[in-house]
Amino acid sequence: MAQREEILEEDQYRAHFYRLLSRLLVRAPDQDLLTQLSTLNGDDTAIGRALDALAAAARSATPDTTTDEYQNLFIGIGRGELVPFASYYLTGFLNEKPLARLRQDMATHGVARADGVSEPEDHIASVCEMMAGFILGDFDAPMPLARQSEFFDRHIGNWAGRFFEDLENAKSADFYKAVGALGRAFLEIETTAFQMAA
Amino acid sequence: MNKDQRKPGKSKTAQRRDFLKLAGLGTLAGAAAATGGAPRKAEAATAKPATSAGYRETEHVKKAYERSRF
Repeated sequence: MAQREEILEEDQYRAHFYRLLSRLLVRAPDQDLLTQLSTLNGDDTAIGRALDALAAAARSATPDTTTDEYQNLFIGIGRGELVPFASYYLTGFLNEKPLARLRQDMATHGVARADGVSEPEDHIASVCEMMAGFILGDFDAPMPLARQSEFFDRHIGNWAGRFFEDLENAKSADFYKAVGALGRAFLEIETTAFQMAA
Repeated sequence: MNKDQRKPGKSKTAQRRDFLKLAGLGTLAGAAAATGGAPRKAEAATAKPATSAGYRETEHVKKAYERSRF
């Protein structure tokens, strides 16, 4: 793993956002995480306001309420209100070409599913986790920005904005509305920043 | 941001850094213990090939997979 000093501060912050989004979308937050989120104090930026809203949402949430919400949003009976997979957003079906393309790119970049895991890798939490790992050099050397940008365009930027918007507006969402707003705001920044460096 | 807002004489990379600095991402750093600074373990559906220890399959991804078989 790369030394943290080699990674620019701004890029470490980006990795924090990806990791936070991944953590919030892989399962409902526990009390520790809610407590820490509730102390966030945003500045007067779009991201700052989204973090303030997330903090407020965390203060009025409990592990029980967020677990119920998570269940209704993503699991449900049969299926949840939302289906947070790239393939579903891009084709209307799970396990289609977007997943195949992701698997090819994962192989190229030295990322694989862990043993015993069989679910699709194109879940929003999974691709966010990969981006954090690429930025920080968890899988290999930290990924050059141009490669990050390419991965983002192919596997996140082309659908996740719509997913976060859907989350923000989901009927079953309360705490997760704030997660959706934060994800949408962060993706807008990522998109603009990648364009600037192009 | 349009091109007019870009400062002349700065590299694209530097402009990108400036943009990210102003975007307020650092606000999250205070909560990094919970989100970024804590010992990392893969929690979503990916892991390093060489060191997959620490991965935990979640109820969610199991359900998601079942669902994908409809």
